[in-house]
Amino acid sequence: MSGSAAVPSIPVAKTAGKAARIASSRGETPGKRFAIHAILIFAAIIAIFPVIRVFGVALRPGNRLLDSEFALIPPGATFESFRHVLTETDLPLWLFNSMVLTTGASIVGLLIAATSAYAFSRFKFPGRGVGLTLLLATQLIPAAMLLVPLYILAVQLKLANSYVGMVIALSVTSVPFSIWILKGYYDTVPIELEEAARIDGCSQLEAFWRILLPLSTPALVIVFLFNFLAAWNDYFLARILLTKQELLTWPLGLQRFQAQFQTQWNDLAASSILISIPVVALFLYSSKWLVSGVTAGGVKG
Amino acid sequence: MNLNAVTTAIGQVATTLVVIAIIVAVLEGALYLLLVRILKTRLAVPIMLVAPAVVGLTVLILYPLLWELNVSLTNMSLRNFKDPGLLGLSNGMFVGISNYVEVFRDPVLKLTGFWQLLGQTLIWTASNVTLHVLGGMALALLLHRQMRGKGIYRALIVLPWAIPQVIALLVWRTEYNNQYGAVNQLLNMIGIPNIPWLSDPLWNFVAMIITNVWLGIPFMMVIILGGLQSISGEFYEAAEMDGATSRQTFRHITLPLLRPVLTPAIILGTVWTFNNINVPFFINQNELETSDILVTALFRQAFQYNRYGDAAAFAFIIFALLLVFTVYYIRRTGGLKGAYE
Amino acid sequence: MKKQLFRFASMFAGLAIVVAACGGAGTSPSASQPAESVTPSEAAFPTANVALTLWTKEGEADGSLQFVQKLATDYNALHSNVTIEVVNKDVEALREDFQTASLAGEAPELLWTVADHIGPFTAADLILPLTDLIDRSKFVPAAADIVTVDGTLWGAPVSFGNQLMLYWNKDLAGADAPADSDAWVAKAKELTTGDQFGIVFNQTESFWLVPFLGGFGGRVFADDGVTPTLNTDAMKSALQFLYDLKYTDKVAPSEADYNVADGLFKDGKAPYIINGDWTLGAYADTFGDKLGVGPLPAMTGGEDPKPYIAGAFLMVSKAAADDADTKAVVTDFLWFATSTDNQVAMVTALKRLPGDADAIADPVVTGDDLLAGAAEAAQKGIPQPTNLEMRCVFDSMTAGVRDLFTGNSDVAGIANTMQSSAETCITQLG
Repeated sequence: MSGSAAVPSIPVAKTAGKAARIASSRGETPGKRFAIHAILIFAAIIAIFPVIRVFGVALRPGNRLLDSEFALIPPGATFESFRHVLTETDLPLWLFNSMVLTTGASIVGLLIAATSAYAFSRFKFPGRGVGLTLLLATQLIPAAMLLVPLYILAVQLKLANSYVGMVIALSVTSVPFSIWILKGYYDTVPIELEEAARIDGCSQLEAFWRILLPLSTPALVIVFLFNFLAAWNDYFLARILLTKQELLTWPLGLQRFQAQFQTQWNDLAASSILISIPVVALFLYSSKWLVSGVTAGGVKG
Repeated sequence: MNLNAVTTAIGQVATTLVVIAIIVAVLEGALYLLLVRILKTRLAVPIMLVAPAVVGLTVLILYPLLWELNVSLTNMSLRNFKDPGLLGLSNGMFVGISNYVEVFRDPVLKLTGFWQLLGQTLIWTASNVTLHVLGGMALALLLHRQMRGKGIYRALIVLPWAIPQVIALLVWRTEYNNQYGAVNQLLNMIGIPNIPWLSDPLWNFVAMIITNVWLGIPFMMVIILGGLQSISGEFYEAAEMDGATSRQTFRHITLPLLRPVLTPAIILGTVWTFNNINVPFFINQNELETSDILVTALFRQAFQYNRYGDAAAFAFIIFALLLVFTVYYIRRTGGLKGAYE
Repeated sequence: MKKQLFRFASMFAGLAIVVAACGGAGTSPSASQPAESVTPSEAAFPTANVALTLWTKEGEADGSLQFVQKLATDYNALHSNVTIEVVNKDVEALREDFQTASLAGEAPELLWTVADHIGPFTAADLILPLTDLIDRSKFVPAAADIVTVDGTLWGAPVSFGNQLMLYWNKDLAGADAPADSDAWVAKAKELTTGDQFGIVFNQTESFWLVPFLGGFGGRVFADDGVTPTLNTDAMKSALQFLYDLKYTDKVAPSEADYNVADGLFKDGKAPYIINGDWTLGAYADTFGDKLGVGPLPAMTGGEDPKPYIAGAFLMVSKAAADDADTKAVVTDFLWFATSTDNQVAMVTALKRLPGDADAIADPVVTGDDLLAGAAEAAQKGIPQPTNLEMRCVFDSMTAGVRDLFTGNSDVAGIANTMQSSAETCITQLG
């Protein structure tokens, strides 16, 4: 990024609160609008093309990954794999387990990060800069490095085969990222808003809870989504901590569709589509919060 | 799926939440007594706020790190397979820093040494992060306007983030097949001859980057879009009144105001790309050593050959490298000045 | 048809050899009560509750995980005080996690896994020798040999095979197997037209190189079993043969990994595929009686190709040795899982060759055309080495094979690199 002077030379209004006006369509010619749509359509096609191919594998009869004919909808397409994985395997259970576990871990992670980030953003205390660097440093550790000792730790703490270890481990591992992102957002919210609230009689924590958090909704949503995805896709921790049938999450469950030499490609593909549905639904649902977070914050002193 | 299984999962998570609540309550209670009642320090509030994160991270990260540090000074391998104890002093497994020296001296993989892998890793990281940021920024700016179909575009473009990564990678790998993959078939349609994506070192590297860009742009786009939402419209109104061009507006308003959000995202993106195992592992189907990066080499060393001592030393070198690089980057660009203020 | 009948007869002959060999071990197969003390002893069966964990590499894809789970349930029905928890793990994950779990002191008692794991597990001293727990002579010698190292038995063979075979699509390649490699290549050239390729196989793994190395009289290790011998004339001939298939005779596609080869064959775009016995069931489903199966054709002027044979084996972790009750139950379960009844049930369910000698002589095997064909092919194989060095050898050969199939015609150079790379790797194992 360019290192140009950070502060714009333009008169700056110090209060947020007014609608973040979307870079509007002012002065946009039809030609420009067409170009924008064309680029976005192109990007969307590239984004979904592999996904469509996964769908194609799921519909393809005869369990093959490769299709030498290059047809988006394979000949003889069948929904058999979807029926099979939903009714004759434990996939629904694995999805349910993943959903419950992931939701729990994401909420815990978000709570821990939101409060810690507040401390990093609004307080000056010794070790703050070092702390931020150390948080960053935890992200630098190659994950493969931690597997063996984490396994030993889990055994020593007797955390195998329960969700206690999973929720703690999953929520804690995403905290450093969450703190960094949230602190960045908190910093963009003018502290004057909280000061005004305190003059009105709010305590410091009330000001945090009632002013800063609502204003940071987009960041909270992003962090929640991130935590959710990280936990949702976790394979390594689950592999260490969960072996009991009834506790398996989907990444472990899907392993079973693979034998040593053979893979049920169509079951795997059908499952992937089903696995993506909750995530996509979450993205779609949360997108309205992503947009309205700041604009809705009609905080007047 | 029966009712029993359903209650099992919910019961487990509910128990966990209670356990965590108790742990946090005990921790905060103890801190309250110590800081507010006994020490009467003004730092009580921030310390109590960060305490749960600090405790959790210490247990989860510090113990494994110390364990690995210990192992890195021993000759632990499958043929020397026992807990080395403290520095392997009691059982003669202590080898000092020789594992660290060997990383630079011997080939890390079969033929390729440390420095070449480092070079590959740097190219890999730099090109990915640049493309992620440029692509994410472009899409976010396009989407940050009132327009028809905005929600649909956004939903479709974030899809790569939602699909399970390993599955997506397996599909990508198939699509790179010389003869039957979609990539070459599409290129053929516009008159470009087949490209050996999987067997040619250069093209394989390009294929890895394309795949990772596909995977990474949605994240960057969502972050930047979120950042754009947080910029007050008043800035733009003021700029408009001053007659600023859209380029000037971008340069003097959008970019500086995005910085608090963008900088951490770029740093984390760099680190994640540097440490990305999945993409190089799956797309490099032929195990070309020219397509390996440091962490995949580490993975092969640690898990395929179980050279625990060597791998631990190698991991620390990667970690140290990344740490030096990150600190240097932060200092050099002043990128996090805002974050530390 | 006549020829097929002949093949049929020869399979029986092959089986007869196996069975005779087993019978020759001094134990009457039907009375599995050898003179030694190695017997399942019902009398001393523990009455206390015993909870065991079994990790298996088997997945649901071919119904094998379900089979293992059923064995565990059946055993629990027999002995209500014993529970066996079956955990599925990917092959590599099973190895890594078993090592780590042993280090942490939480290892499972039983493993149901591949023979290759004997190398790492014995090097790290994590599993028990089975010599005193189960009678080696009850198994098919070819199967027991795979898991016997220096006279010590480390695994109880549940199934064996995994050998590469020749499959052909009778609609394209005719009913009969090619007589030898020259005839095979000639036929394949004839059948390579348009978008159809004569011979497809996985060009990215050295497992597909090994049979041909054997066909030219080569082995990966010297007689000591640990010194790699990859830079040999036999290796160069084998590499040259594969190179010619793709670049001289042009009967192989430009890039083919396992899935590409498999897809082409299933799509009817390849008359011949080299693939393992594990796909027998899937191909039989796809092609019905249009599927031909047999050993790889003999090398013209050379020997039969010698694919590796491996299999699925029960191993006992050292974690089972701590407690007398546990050890007694684990031992009994070994006998139970490899009993003739359960082995016959396995053949029926999974279409794999059983490790138990009585079961392989059962009509369920001898009366099945395809299984008998697999049995014949297995006879031509050699046991896949299980030691730690083999991993280095496999990886080095794989790098060479990939180099070859991207068009490097310097087979002498490739063989030389394979050898030096394997040597480096072995010294670094520590």
